[in-house]
Amino acid sequence: MDIKLKLIQSRLLEISWPKEISPKTLSEMIEVKRFLEKEYTEGIKEIRMGYHCLSLKLQIEITKEEAEELLEEIQAVKLEIQVPTSKLWTIPVCYDGEWGIDLEKISKIHNLSPEEIIKRHLSPEYLLYFYGFLPGFMYLGGLDETLNTPRKSNPDRSVPAGSVAIGGKQTGIYPSESPGGWHVLGNCPISIFDINQNPPVKAQVNDKIKFKAIDLDEYKELKALSKAGKYQLQHD
Amino acid sequence: MIKLPSYIHFVQPGLMTSVQDLGRFGLAEYGIPYSGAMDRYAVAQVNFILRNPKDAAVLEMSGIGPEMVFEHETRIVFAGADTEVYLNQKPVKYGQIVDIKPDDHVLVKKIKKGQWAYMGIQGGFETETVAESKSWFEGITPRTRVHKGETICYLSEAERYYHPVETKAKIRSDWFRISKIKVYPGPEWDLLPQLLHNRILNKAFRISDMIDRMAYQLEEKISHELDPILTSPVYPGTVQLTPSGKLIVLMRDGQVTGGYPRILQVENASLNVLSQKTPKEKITFTLIS
Repeated sequence: MDIKLKLIQSRLLEISWPKEISPKTLSEMIEVKRFLEKEYTEGIKEIRMGYHCLSLKLQIEITKEEAEELLEEIQAVKLEIQVPTSKLWTIPVCYDGEWGIDLEKISKIHNLSPEEIIKRHLSPEYLLYFYGFLPGFMYLGGLDETLNTPRKSNPDRSVPAGSVAIGGKQTGIYPSESPGGWHVLGNCPISIFDINQNPPVKAQVNDKIKFKAIDLDEYKELKALSKAGKYQLQHD
Repeated sequence: MIKLPSYIHFVQPGLMTSVQDLGRFGLAEYGIPYSGAMDRYAVAQVNFILRNPKDAAVLEMSGIGPEMVFEHETRIVFAGADTEVYLNQKPVKYGQIVDIKPDDHVLVKKIKKGQWAYMGIQGGFETETVAESKSWFEGITPRTRVHKGETICYLSEAERYYHPVETKAKIRSDWFRISKIKVYPGPEWDLLPQLLHNRILNKAFRISDMIDRMAYQLEEKISHELDPILTSPVYPGTVQLTPSGKLIVLMRDGQVTGGYPRILQVENASLNVLSQKTPKEKITFTLIS
């Protein structure tokens, strides 16, 4: 593994991989995270993830020398050849009418019809790298390259809850209303984050996400079911 | 000892009044920030004076404070930002236990010095505990700030098992005069040239008007050529450098990941000091080696 370790504070350190968004890096990060959680249950308070780094909050203070020893130990972790198992979740999205807020603009930017934009947004199985930005916000990799779009230079003051949007090389769903700089293509009627559930999200890191187009009638139906707590996200 | 559920009625809500404790931990993997009181030092003071558990929930106020009516007996204490407080029109001393009787009226006026004022209450507030914390946060707790006419629950203890302590506790105000903020080098610090290291560490930065529970922006810009980073973990106290050269210090409600280079990390105690700075006040960063 090509990794570096940096001690930020005596109780905060970061392990980083080369700067890229890749499924291989993700699987190595998951292996290392598992190893650390198993071997240092007591010593680690929390592990946060980004695309290419694990950040460790420690219970105890450690020195530079101890951090170097830890790096050697991590280097020696045997990576499983088997790909860790993951689920494929299907998330309904309505791209119609009022929900496709920025669809027309995106269609013009890329010189593709709105139908073609939707088709290209629906085709990949996206990989869930980590949660961040907002409670329950998934960082999803695997966007069709032709849909890569720079973020809005002036973020919107308010993006509705459930918005399915693209920004840079990523796509994601806003679980709650928030300011946002991504381009909104549609809306998901299902609540994907519930703090009263344990865990508060269904999809876990390394799971896959596929979007399914629904029309306005289905949207209303699913929204009502979700509100009544009668709809669960589907996985294979 | 009988504890009676009682309510504070908010005649006026104040500008930015919320319930906070020391925060909600261990849920960053789902994108949930720590939250919690901006100035943990002030919370420690009010809870210590009231003999509360150290994580008892307190009222956090900023800008203009609220006007409140209490249903039943309790005790309250103010600390943090310096504020004029009146109990039934009579001024109340900072850092002193105030005995509250039924229907007492408490008015918290405009904050004079500092950014966040705190009111501790005997036993702490009895608002909803969500994921082991009472700190209000959008999308997590039912409320995010107090509105006019709302109430907040506390447990009144009419019979006291100890006499009110004559606290001679003096809250030090020199705390507010500290302008040196201690920092550690952040993950991307080494990517900056030496020249910019010197500039950042020798410069006085003014706090801008853009300050809230999520982040404090600084006014002076540092022009640089750092590439953006891939979204990476950040914490309260992480200092981000934006492409336009603006420095943004993440505070208690800051998101758990960010895409700007993380040049510095504010030391824990210094984050409390920084939280009490107001727009136009100057700070300098001192590196802990």
